Amino acid sequence: MKLTFRNPFRRNQWIILLALIFAGAVLGRLAVRGVLNILVGGTMFGGNFL
Amino acid sequence: MSNEKKKERRMFVWISVLAFVVSFVAGVASKLLCKPSWARKYSVALTDEVGTLHRDLAYGEGAANRFDLYLPADGSSARYGLVVYLHAGGFTQGDKSEDEKMLTWLCSKGYVAAGINYTLRTEENGCSVYSQSMEIKEAVPKVIEEAKKLGYRIDRMAVAGGSAGGTLAMLYAYRDAKDAPVPVKMMFEAVGPSSFYREDWGSYGLDLDTPESRKAAAGLFGVMLGKEIEETILDTPEYEQLIKPISAFLWVDENSAPSVIAYGVHDRVCPFQTSRHLVDALKKNKVDHQYFELPHSGHGLQNDDKIYEQYMETVEEYLERYLPVGGAYAH
Repeated sequence: MKLTFRNPFRRNQWIILLALIFAGAVLGRLAVRGVLNILVGGTMFGGNFL
Repeated sequence: MSNEKKKERRMFVWISVLAFVVSFVAGVASKLLCKPSWARKYSVALTDEVGTLHRDLAYGEGAANRFDLYLPADGSSARYGLVVYLHAGGFTQGDKSEDEKMLTWLCSKGYVAAGINYTLRTEENGCSVYSQSMEIKEAVPKVIEEAKKLGYRIDRMAVAGGSAGGTLAMLYAYRDAKDAPVPVKMMFEAVGPSSFYREDWGSYGLDLDTPESRKAAAGLFGVMLGKEIEETILDTPEYEQLIKPISAFLWVDENSAPSVIAYGVHDRVCPFQTSRHLVDALKKNKVDHQYFELPHSGHGLQNDDKIYEQYMETVEEYLERYLPVGGAYAH
Protein backbone atom coordinates (compact mmCIF):
# COMPACT_ATOMS: atom_id res chain seq x y z
CA MET A 1 0.00 0.00 0.00
CA LYS A 2 1.38 3.39 -0.92
CA LEU A 3 0.96 6.20 1.63
CA THR A 4 0.41 9.62 0.16
CA PHE A 5 0.54 12.99 1.93
CA ARG A 6 -2.07 15.51 1.01
CA ASN A 7 -1.07 19.04 1.97
CA PRO A 8 -4.18 20.41 3.70
CA PHE A 9 -3.18 24.08 3.38
CA ARG A 10 -2.00 26.47 0.77
CA ARG A 11 1.41 28.11 1.12
CA ASN A 12 0.04 31.38 2.54
CA GLN A 13 -2.04 29.45 5.06
CA TRP A 14 1.07 27.69 6.31
CA ILE A 15 2.75 31.07 6.72
CA ILE A 16 -0.21 32.41 8.69
CA LEU A 17 -0.25 29.30 10.88
CA LEU A 18 3.47 29.51 11.65
CA ALA A 19 3.17 33.22 12.41
CA LEU A 20 0.31 32.50 14.83
CA ILE A 21 2.29 29.75 16.57
CA PHE A 22 5.26 32.09 16.96
CA ALA A 23 3.05 34.97 18.18
CA GLY A 24 1.27 32.68 20.64
CA ALA A 25 4.51 31.42 22.17
CA VAL A 26 5.95 34.95 22.42
CA LEU A 27 2.76 36.39 23.91
CA GLY A 28 2.55 33.49 26.38
CA ARG A 29 6.00 34.24 27.69
CA LEU A 30 5.34 37.98 27.73
CA ALA A 31 2.10 37.41 29.64
CA VAL A 32 3.98 35.62 32.42
CA ARG A 33 6.57 38.36 32.50
CA GLY A 34 3.81 40.97 32.65
CA VAL A 35 2.02 39.28 35.54
CA LEU A 36 5.28 38.86 37.48
CA ASN A 37 6.14 42.50 36.84
CA ILE A 38 2.78 43.57 38.25
CA LEU A 39 3.37 41.47 41.34
CA VAL A 40 7.02 42.22 42.11
CA GLY A 41 8.08 45.00 39.73
CA GLY A 42 10.09 44.89 36.52
CA THR A 43 10.08 46.04 32.92
CA MET A 44 8.32 44.34 29.99
CA PHE A 45 11.35 44.54 27.73
CA GLY A 46 15.08 44.43 28.19
CA GLY A 47 17.28 42.01 30.07
CA ASN A 48 16.33 38.44 29.24
CA PHE A 49 15.26 37.70 25.70
CA LEU A 50 11.53 37.37 26.45
CA MET B 1 -17.75 30.53 -3.10
CA SER B 2 -18.55 26.84 -3.11
CA ASN B 3 -19.69 25.11 0.06
CA GLU B 4 -16.54 23.03 0.14
CA LYS B 5 -14.32 26.12 0.02
CA LYS B 6 -16.32 27.73 2.81
CA LYS B 7 -15.95 24.60 4.89
CA GLU B 8 -12.20 24.53 4.26
CA ARG B 9 -11.83 28.15 5.24
CA ARG B 10 -13.83 27.64 8.43
CA MET B 11 -11.66 24.65 9.27
CA PHE B 12 -8.52 26.73 8.73
CA VAL B 13 -9.79 29.46 11.07
CA TRP B 14 -10.46 26.90 13.79
CA ILE B 15 -7.06 25.26 13.33
CA SER B 16 -5.43 28.70 13.50
CA VAL B 17 -7.22 29.56 16.76
CA LEU B 18 -6.26 26.19 18.23
CA ALA B 19 -2.62 26.58 17.14
CA PHE B 20 -2.48 30.05 18.74
CA VAL B 21 -4.01 28.88 22.02
CA VAL B 22 -1.76 25.82 22.24
CA SER B 23 1.39 27.82 21.50
CA PHE B 24 0.32 30.52 24.00
CA VAL B 25 -0.08 27.88 26.72
CA ALA B 26 3.25 26.34 25.71
CA GLY B 27 4.85 29.80 25.99
CA VAL B 28 3.40 30.28 29.48
CA ALA B 29 4.52 26.81 30.55
CA SER B 30 8.03 27.24 29.15
CA LYS B 31 8.43 30.55 30.99
CA LEU B 32 7.17 29.11 34.26
CA LEU B 33 8.79 25.69 34.18
CA CYS B 34 12.04 25.91 32.21
CA LYS B 35 14.99 27.09 34.24
CA PRO B 36 17.91 28.65 32.42
CA SER B 37 20.73 26.13 31.96
CA TRP B 38 23.10 27.97 34.34
CA ALA B 39 20.55 27.84 37.18
CA ARG B 40 20.30 24.04 37.14
CA LYS B 41 23.66 23.69 38.85
CA TYR B 42 22.25 25.40 41.96
CA SER B 43 19.33 23.02 42.11
CA VAL B 44 20.80 19.87 43.63
CA ALA B 45 18.81 16.82 44.72
CA LEU B 46 19.65 15.42 48.11
CA THR B 47 21.12 11.93 47.73
CA ASP B 48 23.40 9.82 49.95
CA GLU B 49 26.35 10.95 47.82
CA VAL B 50 25.59 14.60 48.67
CA GLY B 51 24.86 14.30 52.36
CA THR B 52 22.24 13.75 55.01
CA LEU B 53 19.45 15.96 56.25
CA HIS B 54 18.36 16.23 59.87
CA ARG B 55 14.99 17.92 59.97
CA ASP B 56 13.25 20.04 62.58
CA LEU B 57 15.89 20.16 65.27
CA ALA B 58 14.82 22.44 68.11
CA TYR B 59 16.66 25.56 69.21
CA GLY B 60 14.02 27.09 71.46
CA GLU B 61 10.64 26.65 73.04
CA GLY B 62 8.55 28.21 70.26
CA ALA B 63 6.79 26.03 67.69
CA ALA B 64 8.77 27.73 64.91
CA ASN B 65 12.12 27.42 66.68
CA ARG B 66 13.35 24.61 64.45
CA PHE B 67 16.17 24.19 61.99
CA ASP B 68 17.17 21.72 59.30
CA LEU B 69 20.79 20.62 59.22
CA TYR B 70 22.44 19.38 56.04
CA LEU B 71 25.65 17.43 56.65
CA PRO B 72 27.99 16.73 53.74
CA ALA B 73 28.65 13.09 52.84
CA ASP B 74 32.37 13.47 53.46
CA GLY B 75 32.59 13.59 57.23
CA SER B 76 36.35 13.13 57.39
CA SER B 77 37.43 16.79 57.80
CA ALA B 78 38.59 18.06 61.17
CA ARG B 79 36.76 21.38 60.66
CA TYR B 80 33.80 22.57 58.61
CA GLY B 81 32.37 25.85 57.46
CA LEU B 82 28.71 26.47 58.24
CA VAL B 83 26.39 28.32 55.87
CA VAL B 84 23.10 29.48 57.36
CA TYR B 85 20.44 30.31 54.76
CA LEU B 86 17.32 32.17 55.94
CA HIS B 87 14.05 31.88 54.09
CA ALA B 88 12.01 34.62 52.42
CA GLY B 89 8.34 35.49 52.97
CA GLY B 90 7.94 39.09 54.06
CA PHE B 91 8.47 38.17 57.74
CA THR B 92 4.94 36.73 57.77
CA GLN B 93 5.22 33.59 55.63
CA GLY B 94 7.68 31.01 54.36
CA ASP B 95 9.53 27.99 55.63
CA LYS B 96 13.07 26.61 55.62
CA SER B 97 11.94 23.73 53.41
CA GLU B 98 11.52 26.19 50.50
CA ASP B 99 15.30 26.56 50.37
CA GLU B 100 16.04 22.85 50.24
CA LYS B 101 17.66 23.07 46.78
CA MET B 102 19.92 25.95 47.79
CA LEU B 103 20.85 24.29 51.09
CA THR B 104 21.53 20.99 49.31
CA TRP B 105 23.74 22.81 46.80
CA LEU B 106 25.74 24.32 49.67
CA CYS B 107 25.98 20.87 51.27
CA SER B 108 27.15 19.39 47.96
CA LYS B 109 30.03 21.89 48.03
CA GLY B 110 31.18 20.47 51.36
CA TYR B 111 29.57 22.90 53.81
CA VAL B 112 27.40 22.12 56.76
CA ALA B 113 24.25 24.02 55.77
CA ALA B 114 21.37 25.09 57.97
CA GLY B 115 17.92 26.46 57.21
CA ILE B 116 16.46 28.13 60.30
CA ASN B 117 12.80 28.93 60.85
CA TYR B 118 11.76 31.93 62.90
CA THR B 119 8.40 32.89 64.39
CA LEU B 120 6.39 34.54 61.64
CA ARG B 121 4.51 37.68 62.44
CA THR B 122 0.76 37.51 62.86
CA GLU B 123 -1.64 40.18 64.14
CA GLU B 124 -1.89 38.25 67.40
CA ASN B 125 1.69 37.30 68.28
CA GLY B 126 3.28 40.75 67.87
CA CYS B 127 6.49 39.30 66.39
CA SER B 128 8.73 41.74 64.57
CA VAL B 129 11.87 41.85 62.45
CA TYR B 130 13.71 42.54 65.69
CA SER B 131 12.30 39.52 67.55
CA GLN B 132 12.98 37.32 64.51
CA SER B 133 16.58 38.54 64.32
CA MET B 134 17.01 37.70 68.01
CA GLU B 135 15.70 34.20 67.36
CA ILE B 136 18.33 33.71 64.67
CA LYS B 137 20.97 34.97 67.07
CA GLU B 138 19.77 32.43 69.62
CA ALA B 139 19.68 29.65 67.03
CA VAL B 140 23.20 29.83 65.62
CA PRO B 141 25.06 28.48 68.72
CA LYS B 142 22.52 25.61 68.88
CA VAL B 143 23.12 24.80 65.21
CA ILE B 144 26.88 24.66 65.79
CA GLU B 145 26.40 22.55 68.92
CA GLU B 146 24.14 20.10 67.11
CA ALA B 147 26.58 19.78 64.19
CA LYS B 148 29.35 19.01 66.69
CA LYS B 149 27.20 16.31 68.33
CA LEU B 150 26.79 14.73 64.92
CA GLY B 151 30.55 14.75 64.34
CA TYR B 152 30.98 17.97 62.35
CA ARG B 153 33.05 20.59 64.14
CA ILE B 154 32.33 24.11 62.87
CA ASP B 155 35.06 26.77 63.02
CA ARG B 156 33.73 29.48 60.67
CA MET B 157 30.48 30.46 59.06
CA ALA B 158 28.63 32.47 56.45
CA VAL B 159 25.10 33.75 56.68
CA ALA B 160 22.75 34.31 53.77
CA GLY B 161 19.15 34.71 52.75
CA GLY B 162 16.62 36.12 50.35
CA SER B 163 14.22 39.04 50.92
CA ALA B 164 13.12 38.87 54.59
CA GLY B 165 15.81 36.23 55.07
CA GLY B 166 18.29 38.66 53.52
CA THR B 167 17.41 41.30 56.11
CA LEU B 168 17.87 38.80 58.94
CA ALA B 169 21.14 37.57 57.40
CA MET B 170 22.48 41.15 57.26
CA LEU B 171 21.43 41.83 60.85
CA TYR B 172 23.29 38.72 61.99
CA ALA B 173 26.38 39.50 59.89
CA TYR B 174 26.64 43.21 60.72
CA ARG B 175 24.99 43.55 64.14
CA ASP B 176 25.44 40.19 65.87
CA ALA B 177 28.64 38.74 64.38
CA LYS B 178 30.65 39.96 67.37
CA ASP B 179 28.65 37.57 69.59
CA ALA B 180 28.77 34.64 67.16
CA PRO B 181 30.42 31.45 68.48
CA VAL B 182 32.62 31.27 65.34
CA PRO B 183 33.83 34.02 62.98
CA VAL B 184 31.30 35.18 60.39
CA LYS B 185 33.45 35.18 57.27
CA MET B 186 30.96 36.38 54.67
CA MET B 187 27.36 37.27 53.95
CA PHE B 188 25.31 37.00 50.78
CA GLU B 189 21.76 38.08 50.25
CA ALA B 190 19.30 39.37 47.68
CA VAL B 191 16.48 41.91 47.93
CA GLY B 192 16.42 42.25 51.71
CA PRO B 193 15.56 45.71 53.09
CA SER B 194 18.38 47.10 55.19
CA SER B 195 16.99 50.58 55.94
CA PHE B 196 13.66 52.09 56.93
CA TYR B 197 13.49 55.73 55.86
CA ARG B 198 10.05 56.64 54.64
CA GLU B 199 11.34 58.64 51.65
CA ASP B 200 12.72 55.37 50.21
CA TRP B 201 9.44 53.50 50.60
CA GLY B 202 7.54 55.25 47.82
CA SER B 203 6.06 52.01 46.47
CA TYR B 204 4.08 51.82 49.73
CA GLY B 205 3.07 55.48 49.56
CA LEU B 206 5.10 56.31 52.66
CA ASP B 207 7.13 59.08 51.04
CA LEU B 208 4.34 61.65 50.76
CA ASP B 209 4.24 64.79 52.83
CA THR B 210 0.82 64.05 54.28
CA PRO B 211 -0.38 63.03 57.75
CA GLU B 212 -1.74 59.75 56.32
CA SER B 213 1.63 58.88 54.79
CA ARG B 214 3.46 59.62 58.06
CA LYS B 215 0.94 57.60 60.01
CA ALA B 216 1.31 54.64 57.64
CA ALA B 217 5.13 54.85 57.83
CA ALA B 218 5.08 54.99 61.64
CA GLY B 219 2.70 52.03 61.66
CA LEU B 220 4.66 49.83 59.24
CA PHE B 221 8.11 50.56 60.65
CA GLY B 222 6.76 50.24 64.19
CA VAL B 223 5.45 46.77 63.39
CA MET B 224 8.84 45.82 61.93
CA LEU B 225 10.68 47.21 64.93
CA GLY B 226 8.26 45.74 67.45
CA LYS B 227 7.81 49.10 69.18
CA GLU B 228 5.42 51.95 68.72
CA ILE B 229 6.86 54.82 66.69
CA GLU B 230 5.52 58.36 67.06
CA GLU B 231 4.80 60.01 63.71
CA THR B 232 6.56 63.16 64.86
CA ILE B 233 9.91 61.42 65.32
CA LEU B 234 10.04 59.98 61.77
CA ASP B 235 12.14 62.65 60.07
CA THR B 236 14.35 63.51 63.04
CA PRO B 237 17.87 62.32 64.01
CA GLU B 238 16.36 60.41 66.99
CA TYR B 239 14.53 58.18 64.54
CA GLU B 240 17.82 56.72 63.29
CA GLN B 241 18.72 55.58 66.80
CA LEU B 242 15.24 54.19 67.36
CA ILE B 243 15.21 52.15 64.14
CA LYS B 244 18.87 51.07 64.37
CA PRO B 245 18.12 47.61 65.88
CA ILE B 246 16.61 46.49 62.54
CA SER B 247 18.57 48.74 60.14
CA ALA B 248 21.38 46.47 59.01
CA PHE B 249 23.27 49.17 57.10
CA LEU B 250 23.71 51.22 60.29
CA TRP B 251 25.77 48.37 61.79
CA VAL B 252 28.26 48.16 58.93
CA ASP B 253 31.79 49.02 60.02
CA GLU B 254 35.31 48.32 58.80
CA ASN B 255 35.20 44.85 60.40
CA SER B 256 31.97 43.80 58.72
CA ALA B 257 31.88 40.52 56.82
CA PRO B 258 32.58 40.60 53.08
CA SER B 259 29.25 40.75 51.31
CA VAL B 260 27.66 39.85 48.00
CA ILE B 261 24.31 41.55 47.45
CA ALA B 262 21.76 41.88 44.64
CA TYR B 263 18.79 44.21 44.16
CA GLY B 264 16.21 44.78 41.42
CA VAL B 265 15.84 48.39 40.27
CA HIS B 266 12.05 48.07 39.89
CA ASP B 267 11.47 46.22 43.16
CA ARG B 268 8.14 47.20 44.71
CA VAL B 269 8.36 44.90 47.71
CA CYS B 270 11.80 45.88 48.98
CA PRO B 271 12.07 49.39 47.49
CA PHE B 272 15.26 49.71 45.47
CA GLN B 273 16.20 53.01 47.13
CA THR B 274 16.80 51.19 50.41
CA SER B 275 19.83 49.44 48.88
CA ARG B 276 21.63 52.76 48.32
CA HIS B 277 22.28 53.22 52.05
CA LEU B 278 23.73 49.74 52.30
CA VAL B 279 26.00 50.14 49.30
CA ASP B 280 27.22 53.53 50.57
CA ALA B 281 27.95 52.06 54.01
CA LEU B 282 29.90 49.14 52.54
CA LYS B 283 31.91 51.53 50.34
CA LYS B 284 32.51 54.04 53.13
CA ASN B 285 33.81 51.34 55.46
CA LYS B 286 35.87 49.66 52.73
CA VAL B 287 34.16 46.33 53.24
CA ASP B 288 35.00 43.85 50.49
CA HIS B 289 31.70 43.59 48.65
CA GLN B 290 30.10 42.97 45.29
CA TYR B 291 26.88 44.72 44.46
CA PHE B 292 24.66 43.56 41.62
CA GLU B 293 21.98 45.89 40.29
CA LEU B 294 19.40 44.23 38.06
CA PRO B 295 18.07 47.03 35.82
CA HIS B 296 14.95 45.31 34.45
CA SER B 297 13.92 43.27 37.47
CA GLY B 298 11.82 43.56 40.58
CA HIS B 299 11.72 41.57 43.79
CA GLY B 300 12.08 38.24 41.98
CA LEU B 301 15.27 39.32 40.14
CA GLN B 302 13.38 37.71 37.29
CA ASN B 303 14.29 39.65 34.15
CA ASP B 304 18.08 39.78 34.21
CA ASP B 305 19.35 36.22 34.12
CA LYS B 306 22.85 37.19 33.00
CA ILE B 307 23.38 39.40 36.04
CA TYR B 308 21.73 36.90 38.36
CA GLU B 309 24.15 34.29 37.04
CA GLN B 310 27.06 36.64 37.78
CA TYR B 311 25.69 37.15 41.30
CA MET B 312 25.63 33.40 41.93
CA GLU B 313 29.10 32.93 40.44
CA THR B 314 30.38 35.68 42.72
CA VAL B 315 28.74 34.02 45.73
CA GLU B 316 30.67 30.85 44.84
CA GLU B 317 33.88 32.81 44.40
CA TYR B 318 33.46 34.54 47.79
CA LEU B 319 32.59 31.24 49.49
CA GLU B 320 35.78 29.70 48.06
CA ARG B 321 37.82 32.71 49.14
CA TYR B 322 36.41 33.32 52.62
CA LEU B 323 35.02 29.94 53.55
CA PRO B 324 37.21 27.39 51.71
CA VAL B 325 36.18 23.81 52.23
CA GLY B 326 38.71 22.02 54.41
CA GLY B 327 41.42 24.66 53.96
CA ALA B 328 42.72 27.72 55.73
CA TYR B 329 40.48 30.72 55.39
CA ALA B 330 41.19 34.34 54.53
CA HIS B 331 41.25 36.74 57.46
